Amino acid sequence: MNAVSTDNIIEASGLTKNFAGFAAVSDVDLNVRRHSIHALIGPNGAGKTTTFNLITKFLAPSSGRILYNGTDITSESPARVARRGIVRSFQISAIFPRMTVGENVRIALQRPLGTSFRFWQSERSLRVLSERVDELLTAVGLTDQRDQTAAGLPYGRKRALEFATTLALEPELMLLDEPTSGLGNEDVDRIAELIRKVSANRTILMVEHNLSVVSRLADMITVLARGRILAEGDYSEISNNQQVIEAYIGGEDD
Amino acid sequence: MFELIGIPPMLLFGQLMIGLINGVFYAMMSLGVAIIFGMLRIGNFVHGAQYMLGAFGAWYLLHLPDLFPGLGLPALGYWWALVIVPVAVGLVGAATERLFIRRVYDLEHAYGLLLTVGLAMVIEGLFNVRYGAAGQQYNVPETLKGVVNLGFMFLPIYRLWVIVAGIVVCVVTWFVIERTKLGSYLRAATENPDLVRAFGINVPRMLMLTYAFGVGLAGLAGVMAAPIYQVSPQMGQSIIITIFAVVVIGGMGSIFGAIFSGLMLGLIEGLTKVFYPQGSTTVIFVIMAIVLVFRPAGLFGKETSAFHAADMSNARSDSFLENGRLWLPVLAVIGAALPFLVYPVFAMKMLCFALFASAYNLVFGYVGLLAFGHAAFFGASAYVAAQSAAVWGFPPELAILAGVAMATVIGALFGWLAIRRQGLYFAMITLALAQIVYFYAIQASWTHGEDGIQQVPRGYLFGMIDLDQPLNMYYFVLAIFLAGFALIYRIIHSPFGQVLKSVRENEPRAISLGYSTDRFKLIAFTLSAMLAGLAGGTKAIVFQIASLTDLHFMTSAEALLMSLIGGVGTLLGPIVGAVVVVTMQKEFASLGSWVVVVQGAAFVLCVLFLRKGVVGTLEEYLSNRQARRAALAVADRPETPRAGAAS
Repeated sequence: MNAVSTDNIIEASGLTKNFAGFAAVSDVDLNVRRHSIHALIGPNGAGKTTTFNLITKFLAPSSGRILYNGTDITSESPARVARRGIVRSFQISAIFPRMTVGENVRIALQRPLGTSFRFWQSERSLRVLSERVDELLTAVGLTDQRDQTAAGLPYGRKRALEFATTLALEPELMLLDEPTSGLGNEDVDRIAELIRKVSANRTILMVEHNLSVVSRLADMITVLARGRILAEGDYSEISNNQQVIEAYIGGEDD
Repeated sequence: MFELIGIPPMLLFGQLMIGLINGVFYAMMSLGVAIIFGMLRIGNFVHGAQYMLGAFGAWYLLHLPDLFPGLGLPALGYWWALVIVPVAVGLVGAATERLFIRRVYDLEHAYGLLLTVGLAMVIEGLFNVRYGAAGQQYNVPETLKGVVNLGFMFLPIYRLWVIVAGIVVCVVTWFVIERTKLGSYLRAATENPDLVRAFGINVPRMLMLTYAFGVGLAGLAGVMAAPIYQVSPQMGQSIIITIFAVVVIGGMGSIFGAIFSGLMLGLIEGLTKVFYPQGSTTVIFVIMAIVLVFRPAGLFGKETSAFHAADMSNARSDSFLENGRLWLPVLAVIGAALPFLVYPVFAMKMLCFALFASAYNLVFGYVGLLAFGHAAFFGASAYVAAQSAAVWGFPPELAILAGVAMATVIGALFGWLAIRRQGLYFAMITLALAQIVYFYAIQASWTHGEDGIQQVPRGYLFGMIDLDQPLNMYYFVLAIFLAGFALIYRIIHSPFGQVLKSVRENEPRAISLGYSTDRFKLIAFTLSAMLAGLAGGTKAIVFQIASLTDLHFMTSAEALLMSLIGGVGTLLGPIVGAVVVVTMQKEFASLGSWVVVVQGAAFVLCVLFLRKGVVGTLEEYLSNRQARRAALAVADRPETPRAGAAS
């Protein structure tokens, strides 16, 4: 396992989210170790995506506290959290459909330039980014599609584009919401390989249904069921945990 | 006689009673609007016209013998009207749903609002053509004549009846929707139509009946209102914007909120008439603004964290139709030649409105925010420019700048209030905020009410160029228009514009990339208000007048119509749309009051058949042709490699 640093990048404690009386997530303590790949798994409705939304501040927790690198981010806006280096992906591929593939990546690279509010400046000023755009597209194998509109890409390629866009931000922590869902076997392997490749010097927290991907990638696995943590450990511990097996077999089908 | 806090109790209770009566009508109307909005996701702007239909329906029934002489029809009085009219208006509603509303369910919310705005214009316009502004009298029915002595005041029995009956109707409706099985089906059908369909329920029919029911409520309110207010074609127009504000205050999707706020706001309005009469027309809108600051979701609304801007754009950014560097000189040449082809005054009107529509399109088309109050920026700037030129003796360029500054400030303020809400709510809020400016201009002394500020001098540009010379004035306006056009093009194609584009296409993703999208939207909205102010200020100097028309919501609707006809979210669309609408107004001017009907019909037809607008449709044609050619090229290609392989 990664021994570069053993401290935690995320320390969430007592995380709870109620929706009209229904607790989607209740009293979850989640620690994510720096430079690890951490997977959240669990049957449908276990609260995985809600946990994601809480950490990225797309939802405000009903109670609980979230520390990122020791800083309390519980009451920050989602955009602010993103600027701190926590960047998420979405279950449905999140691209800008009518922008070109290149522009999709460039919009992410543009922010650190600090010119995003300059409505009086020509977009030609963004050409300084083209080199980096090409590098990122090469990394995910989309170089040939750079000037094509993103909407026209096949599904698996859209996920790759989303990945490139996320990477463009050099996130310290990447949250991937079911990165391989809806993909064919070949694409699953490509994305899994990509995740492994970018995980160097980065922390990845992912929700994933595909257990073979989880077994291949994850250093640490947290199993959620009915909004609570059921078990935590590495793959071998989890796969032998009686409660987990019951939750998967006896619970809601997946 | 004793006094309460310096106010004679007769006056206080009298106004409170009037307030309560108004409140009952607000509650009944907001209830209908809230149901239709909650279940169908349609902002039913035609609700006011449907209320007016109810009042006219009652009046027609009473005058059956005069309307159809020789048929021996009886005159049907109030009690008949109370039964027949809501059903009849409801049936009209069902037909409206079937013919029009149903076609826009699956489209962006904006289209539903536009469609109903058009329908309202057509219906109210037709009645206006027939009956003009004069109201018809409808007498209180015999059985409800007379007054009760409450000790401290005399209460007409009819008013007591309206209060009791209105509240009963509201409570029963609330009960049916929130507490019965039928209501839960209704609510389920809006959450998940497919699932409800699977239960074996005919969802389209259910939605039609829901719409008919909401409309029937408006009809019922109309009948009950007929003996109290004048039965006139305008009665619905004045109430609908207030109703929208009430729904915003009551809160997103809250039936109870609509009823409660309707009653309370009627009372508050009544109290304002006693203590601060000047404020009574705006108090509801001001309360709305305050509520939005502290409870953006309304008093009883649930906070939703839906990030969703509407992508209404019809442009392809790489198309030559979007190339401002090409079109700026083309427009300059056309503009330079224009005063030799048409009257300069007419050409200047086109330019002012082309700039106004382009400014509007910046926020509607390129950001995806359905703003519906741009008349406030256009008009406020016109008034300030007119005042500073006519009264303070500013030269024209400074007068226009003063107007622009005012529009920018109001734009930033309104934007700040509205930006946290999306879609239809954004439209309702901007509409209601714009009404504050409108009513202010009616009441303030410097704006001269109905007269407006007249005889504004055109003056000398930079102290040298005499703008009373038509061509001097014209080229000055052309220069302003081209500068505005260039600025808009630059905004769209700037680093800032790139972010706007990403917000429009996928707002959650833009946020996850670290962009505080509300700030980008607010800046874009303010820029749009500023440019609308540039158009309005210029207009005031050109036509030497600032009037209530500039601030009227119809002016906001015109900007919308121009963008829609030309093509929302295209660079040239608003200009084409402005030319079409301004020309249409000139050609139909001889038709008098029919103009509104024609414009309303244009709205409806555009929403149903020309959603992409002229430029958007052209763009689509060009891009299809390009795609066909590309497909042909691909089909041809297999020949080539084979030839290559052979060599």
